[in-house]
Amino acid sequence: MERKKENRKKSLSVVIPLYNENANVIPLFEALKKVLLSMQRESEIIFVDDGSKDGSRDILKKIAQKENIVKVVLLRKNFGQSAALDAGFRISSGEIVITMDGDLQNDPEDIPMIVEKIEEGYDVVSGWRKDRKDKLLFRRIPSIIANKLICSITNIKLHDTGCALKGYKKEVIDGIRLYGELHRFLPALTKVEGATITEVVVRHHPRKFGRSKYNLTRTFRVLMDMVSLHFFIKHLRSPLGFFGKIGILITLVGLIGGVWCVFQIIGKNMSIINLNVPLTVVFLFLVAGFQFIFLGLIASLIVKTGERSGFTLSPFVLNINEEKDE
Amino acid sequence: MNKNNNIIQENKISYIVSVYNIEDKVESLYDSSKKVLDRISNTYEMIFVDDGSNDKTYKHLQTISKNDKNVKIIRMRSSFGEACALDAGLKYSVGGRIIFYSGRVKININDIGKLLKRHSSGFDLVVGWRSPRDDSLLNRMVSFLFNKLVGVFSGCKMHDINSGIFVSNRYVFDNISYYGNLYNFIPVLSLQQGYNISEEKVEQVSGSFRSSRNPKEYLRRVLDIVTVFFLTKYSKKPIHFLGFLGTIFIVLGMMIELYLFFYRIFLFGPIAGRPLLILGALLLVIGIQMISIGLIGEMIIFTHAGDIKEYNIEEVIE
Repeated sequence: MERKKENRKKSLSVVIPLYNENANVIPLFEALKKVLLSMQRESEIIFVDDGSKDGSRDILKKIAQKENIVKVVLLRKNFGQSAALDAGFRISSGEIVITMDGDLQNDPEDIPMIVEKIEEGYDVVSGWRKDRKDKLLFRRIPSIIANKLICSITNIKLHDTGCALKGYKKEVIDGIRLYGELHRFLPALTKVEGATITEVVVRHHPRKFGRSKYNLTRTFRVLMDMVSLHFFIKHLRSPLGFFGKIGILITLVGLIGGVWCVFQIIGKNMSIINLNVPLTVVFLFLVAGFQFIFLGLIASLIVKTGERSGFTLSPFVLNINEEKDE
Repeated sequence: MNKNNNIIQENKISYIVSVYNIEDKVESLYDSSKKVLDRISNTYEMIFVDDGSNDKTYKHLQTISKNDKNVKIIRMRSSFGEACALDAGLKYSVGGRIIFYSGRVKININDIGKLLKRHSSGFDLVVGWRSPRDDSLLNRMVSFLFNKLVGVFSGCKMHDINSGIFVSNRYVFDNISYYGNLYNFIPVLSLQQGYNISEEKVEQVSGSFRSSRNPKEYLRRVLDIVTVFFLTKYSKKPIHFLGFLGTIFIVLGMMIELYLFFYRIFLFGPIAGRPLLILGALLLVIGIQMISIGLIGEMIIFTHAGDIKEYNIEEVIE
């Protein structure tokens, strides 16, 4: 995609959620500062402290007071990574927003590469830790499986959706509210809005300080999140279509079964007792079918009220100003 | 949720009392409150919220406010309950520190000093703990169980979560919504927002401002327990909870139906008359319903996420 060189470089925000990373904060900041200075564009670093208890907060406060480019957001307690990212996004002002982990496993040197990709025209650029420096069994294998699942369900093609180092155009994340554990699916969420996504290979370092904060026990919850996300991506625009189709199908099967039963009773003079099993199945299908249709009605009501309170399903408008300039 | 257009005076104490049909006691309540407040603070206001009394309470309050410029009265059109009284009180007060007293139970007003002291030692919300409790054995047991349950499910381990008296900073209420049933869970809500909370013993004086409990209140307790569910993390991820339950139901139902299927095919036994057939079918339907409803719940949250206040920012340093 060729585009005229713009006079003004796009401004940059780097959002970093932190939780108990006291040993990593200062090295990370120094490395970031060096990179950002070399990029020569308007930039800011936003540290979001997610209720650390190890003194990270004091270190951050000191940095924020000394350095102009640093903003620090202190959350009142540990609200989780989605909340921390959301808080960071809300406060960021750059036209390009970069996210990364606070554990020094991502390399700030990769930021220019990501920014370049975004300026080529992509809305979302995800890092790909091709050469991962984590334990195979407990980190990498679950991650590979999760990635395969997420990609097949959400229909995006990335090798490593779990990589924290990512870049977004501001307007892509403006429409998204992160809550619960949605941060895992942020690229997929941007896809709901119609964003173009690509990936670049990034470096990955072994953890120097502190311990990893992930565990294996969330499989079920993540799976359930995937189910609902799949549902959102496919059917949020017309939930009645989804539930209604299933409902009508099941009801029809029930009705056909019912007609068959009636035929047996009237036509073949069979007693009702002998049709106990088929009748149970018929009732089951009818009940389930009606339920689904009504659920579909409720679901479309919900989407309607959501739209009234500010939620939009329309894809965001891309680069209007840029097009005008040309 | 800044409902207040007045300029907040951080040092001022706003003492908000909700009163209902206590014509013969309102005078003494005012006197004892005034005595305590005069002693502990030099800048305070007293706000009496008359929750739609139909006796002479309001008249007495009018006389009181005529003689004391620190007293404001708010008269509700009818009885709307304590949550609304608190809301109205917050709206028409200007103090940065709030003492809310529901006037539902009689406590030793002097203990407000203790609560304030604890509040000053670095907490955002301090709840009164009626101890020793002057109540019937049944009520005490219900209360004990209720508080334990809330503690287990929400992590807010308190002894007397809705004692009807607490001291807090005004800003606590900027980030929590406490309408309806949630009013009873203000400490839980505050804790979830990351505020520091604590409790302090207050002496309960025998006798009550309100007439004895009616059975309806026990029913409300049961509903409150349902409310507790909505305070857990599952309320934001309904599919985590309903999806789990639904999966269990579906698996159970499948197992039953498969068993019956093989029984019919290989053993040629009749299954028509067996209630197990209906049970299995029922489990399947309920399971699928649960997952669907979980999905709908997710949808509600996803499309209304703009209204969710999931986290609370303590400070932004630039």
